[in-house]
Amino acid sequence: MSKMLFFLEQDKKTPSLMVLNPPSPSPSIFKEKESASQLPSMTKAVPYSSVVQQADSRAPAHDNPHAAPTRVFSFSSSVTTSSEDTVLNEDDDENCVMNPHTPPTSEQVFTTPHTEFGHCANEAYRCVSKHDYTKPFQERAIEEPPLYVCFATCVSILILYMLGRLRDFFGKRFAKSYFTHLMPHNGYAQLNSDFESFYLRRIKRRMDDCYGQPITGVPGRTVLILDRYSPDYNHTQIYTGGMTRALNVSSYNYLAFSQGRGSWADAVAESIRRYGVSSCGTRLDSGSNDLHVCAEALIAHFLGAEDALVCSMGFATNSTFIPGLAGKGSLIISDELNHTSMRVGIQQSGAEVRIFKHNDMASLESLLREVISQGQPKTHRAWKKILVIVEGLYSMEGTLVNLPRIVELKQKYKFYLYVDEAHSIGSLGSRGRGVTDYFNIPPGSIDVLMGTFSKGFGAAGGYISGPKSLIDALRLRSHSGPYAEAITPSVIAQVVVSMASIMGVTPAPRPTKSTLFPGLDSSIVAPKESAEELPGMAPASMLPMWMNLRPSLADGSEARMRMRRLAFNCRYLHVGLKKLGFIVYGHVSSPIVPLLIFNPGKLCLFVRMMRARPIPIAVVVVAHPATSFNTGRARLCPSASHTKEDIDIVLRACDEVGGILDMKHGSCERWGIDEVCERAVELVHSV
Amino acid sequence: MDSSTSVALEPVLSFLAFSLSKLESGFYRIPGSAVVARYVKSSHQNDPGRTILELILVIFAIRTLLQSRTRTDRSGKHFIKFSEKEIDELVDEWVPEPLAQPLSEWEQRDLSSVPVISGPNGPKPKLLATGKIVTNLASFNFAGLAGNEKVKERALETLQKYGLGSCGPPGFYGTIDVHLDLEREIAEFLGTEASILYSQGFSTISSVIPAFCKRGDIIVADRSVNFAIQKGILISRSTVRWFDHNDLKSLEDTLISVEKERKKRKGPLTRRFIITEGIFERDGEMVDLPKLVELKLKYKYRLILDESISFGTMGRTGRGLTELYNVPASQIDMLVGSVANGLCSAGGFCAGSSIVVDHQSCIKQRINGTSFVFSASMPALLATSGSEAITFLRNNPSVLLNLQDNIRAIRAVLEKTEGITLLGHRASPIIHFCLRTQQQSLAVTQPTYDYEAEERILQDIVDDSIANGVLLTRAKHLRGQEMVESRPTIRIAATAALSRKEVEKAAGVVKASVTRILSKRR
Repeated sequence: MSKMLFFLEQDKKTPSLMVLNPPSPSPSIFKEKESASQLPSMTKAVPYSSVVQQADSRAPAHDNPHAAPTRVFSFSSSVTTSSEDTVLNEDDDENCVMNPHTPPTSEQVFTTPHTEFGHCANEAYRCVSKHDYTKPFQERAIEEPPLYVCFATCVSILILYMLGRLRDFFGKRFAKSYFTHLMPHNGYAQLNSDFESFYLRRIKRRMDDCYGQPITGVPGRTVLILDRYSPDYNHTQIYTGGMTRALNVSSYNYLAFSQGRGSWADAVAESIRRYGVSSCGTRLDSGSNDLHVCAEALIAHFLGAEDALVCSMGFATNSTFIPGLAGKGSLIISDELNHTSMRVGIQQSGAEVRIFKHNDMASLESLLREVISQGQPKTHRAWKKILVIVEGLYSMEGTLVNLPRIVELKQKYKFYLYVDEAHSIGSLGSRGRGVTDYFNIPPGSIDVLMGTFSKGFGAAGGYISGPKSLIDALRLRSHSGPYAEAITPSVIAQVVVSMASIMGVTPAPRPTKSTLFPGLDSSIVAPKESAEELPGMAPASMLPMWMNLRPSLADGSEARMRMRRLAFNCRYLHVGLKKLGFIVYGHVSSPIVPLLIFNPGKLCLFVRMMRARPIPIAVVVVAHPATSFNTGRARLCPSASHTKEDIDIVLRACDEVGGILDMKHGSCERWGIDEVCERAVELVHSV
Repeated sequence: MDSSTSVALEPVLSFLAFSLSKLESGFYRIPGSAVVARYVKSSHQNDPGRTILELILVIFAIRTLLQSRTRTDRSGKHFIKFSEKEIDELVDEWVPEPLAQPLSEWEQRDLSSVPVISGPNGPKPKLLATGKIVTNLASFNFAGLAGNEKVKERALETLQKYGLGSCGPPGFYGTIDVHLDLEREIAEFLGTEASILYSQGFSTISSVIPAFCKRGDIIVADRSVNFAIQKGILISRSTVRWFDHNDLKSLEDTLISVEKERKKRKGPLTRRFIITEGIFERDGEMVDLPKLVELKLKYKYRLILDESISFGTMGRTGRGLTELYNVPASQIDMLVGSVANGLCSAGGFCAGSSIVVDHQSCIKQRINGTSFVFSASMPALLATSGSEAITFLRNNPSVLLNLQDNIRAIRAVLEKTEGITLLGHRASPIIHFCLRTQQQSLAVTQPTYDYEAEERILQDIVDDSIANGVLLTRAKHLRGQEMVESRPTIRIAATAALSRKEVEKAAGVVKASVTRILSKRR
């Protein structure tokens, strides 16, 4: 019942909580160390990329941005092997966030700073993301916590609720000035009804410091968090001006393509120089440019579809295109845990909706039999069409859709299938093509594939792909075409370069400008892979003429290495947490690892404690609006930029914090933390 | 015979007796069971009927609990029971329609006539299809920020430091300091307490409206608001009352009638909103803001004003209608604008008091239609480009004077053109014109014109003028999905990036095209 006490204390305005709250004005030990190490290295010679980069990213953002950077943009090109090595070796900072665990050898070239993309040369820490058809597909493995945990969770929600109600009751009578927006005043009705906003004011407000944490710099392997504290229980947040570098297991930068430097950034920079920032209009009037056309062809090629269409916002991709697919007289069958964007789209479409149990194929089949035999309600006319909408990878559960079974059902019941690959595209499958690739199912057997660029590709926006007739109709008839601004050139350039690097480009007839790009990108390129040619590579003619990819990108080896690192990290984190005794939802290959906490009180404690560790870790917890009240969870997103040592750190932290917070209720056979770390490779390949 | 049956039954009976006693002892072992037994005994003695009643109640409760809640349809009166075999047959027989209806001949032409620009968009872009350089009177580049070197430079700097994607929704480490900076700058620029950024301009207002307006609330909106507002109102499920397009007299009448109705019903005070646009995207009309604010204050409504077109174009420095009419922005409860149009970047914002903005950022979590919480935040470099654009507008007020000059120049030429009617306010940066017929008003309940035929003529004009070096576009609408069907128009977007001479020349080309096409028709 510690969390109850904890909440009571908070209510009595005792500052006990602040001990756990690192963004207080006093700097943490870790930060002092960081700033101490920064000074001597700053005085060294200039071309120390990582040092400069660190200093750069440490500079407060509100400083005059015009004064600072004077160096050439394509900085990565000027980094030489030797200088890089000296920096990495001489810096005697033991901090493993800033420096790699094992210093690189002279043959290994790293051009991105370790803080952004972890240096990991160990080929053992790789894994291929692929479905094993010899094992039965697990639709959804839900482990129930012990009864007392459920009970404690309910009790703590009840206490939170009652305290909130009490405070509202007395507050409205004695402290009216704080409640004006909840009460009718001056002839205006209240702006928010207090019932509607109760959860936000009374429950979420208590953990507001865990959400909306501003950051600066690249959300790569680590992230710079702007320190803040709240003197008035999260009503206002005050920024101290300090920053903390934390290990980042919360951004969706799965393949770490969103980088400040490197080939990806170079291509984007070139696009800004050539195209400017904005596309100035909607797709249908005058915002279309050749980059859009090129990207759409490339996406279609990437997915194995006839045609594709891009949209400037991932959310809007679903909410504006679904109404174009089904309307009155049609039926949409949706998974109960589909993302809000799809629900908005379905709501706007005017079609009938039926829901089936999350990823439960038996439930889907019985529903299909029912709706097809019954036809439309009352009239019993046959449905015009039935559209089944599922996600490839569910963002809150980490479950993978049972695609093989759904495709079977599709053949029998003749519905149309819409798969939202927001999280799975790029991050799943041996070739990064998402769930179809993971299950090795021809993409043509799915009617509509939708996905976003803001995750795996490190850009923003989304796409939808399918048969040409459908996409053409969507271009004209969906809301996005005539009304929404077109995707900007810089974003689309990032998409093109990311996708091309995943696919690889077939023989590059264009000579790469060796003066511009002498080095290889970010990590080691295994020479044995460079000659390999895979099906589905992009012809060089599909890329914009000006886009020069480095060899490691053009042959796809860099992206392949990243995908294999990601697959290893996901599996390792997932299985490791299970072995430590945690309840983890979802699929082992999923880049989203939901770690169940249950109790809402522990959610914020978990975030604070992870952030207060000697090596701070930035984690995301999700509760009510996204999940149910009593299954609060932390959502860890490992990325390709993490090294095995980083995952060790996360596991160790979870082990300690989880022990304190009594989170280990899993029924899996348990190992000690050291054993898990040592036998990582074995663990990963055991599942 | 008797004995044999009793012999055969004996083990059964003894087993029954044994299990009964076991059950009884087991029951009494449960703590508190004695109380239950005592209650049942005494109640049964007093009134055996009650025991039966209670038993039925318990059975009913268990049945209700076990009943599946998702399958309510099965028991409905319209449910027809089929055998498995019949269902299989029905499944086999069912033939769905194709997923998309094929494009009509006109739609195909429409799609193929969409201009694609090769290279940067700006005042003089190159077209991909012909390779020709044209004068751009179609793209939203009002202040001439497209291709601005300073903006580009700032974007490049940002890219180095932040990478491109923010890789997370604002709540989950997706808020970057540059977002906070831009939010603060917009708020300062407009003079509001706070503002909040959305990553797409179109989705901004359609999320802002449902964030505040709920079922039972009253929305009074202009009949001719843009599509995004219509969608927002639809999602909000509030009670809507429409007033005539840009007619504040009609607005006042509506407000009075709403008030009367409320008094008659004696209902509780509900939230009431007026939703309209600063400059209407559909026809370029401008709202009389001081009068609107006066009405809103008088009748105690909250005002949601969409300044997607007017922000960054109107007023001395582009602060929008509030600057033009010298109305403090704080009087507008929710001011929605577009960073994509006005600041030539991407995204949108909502500015207002901090309660409004905070409320929004948290309430977004709950409601549907929430493109703030559930979508990744905008790339950092687009945010800094927006900041740079604000700095540009602050420092270069002359730009908007040029814009006004150009608007006047275009209108002057087109006003003299035969066969078309110019619509909208004379200062509006978007200029719509439609074909001149007897019917002058845009929104007509019974169209007296042939929609498709007019569209075709306008498209001919557009094609002709593109062939002559001026990029134009029809105002694109989703026919059949808009609430009010408006007359087909051609939309010209003025820009400050062209000189007055160039603009006059371009307008001359448009005029010539119009004359040519219309004379051909006759």
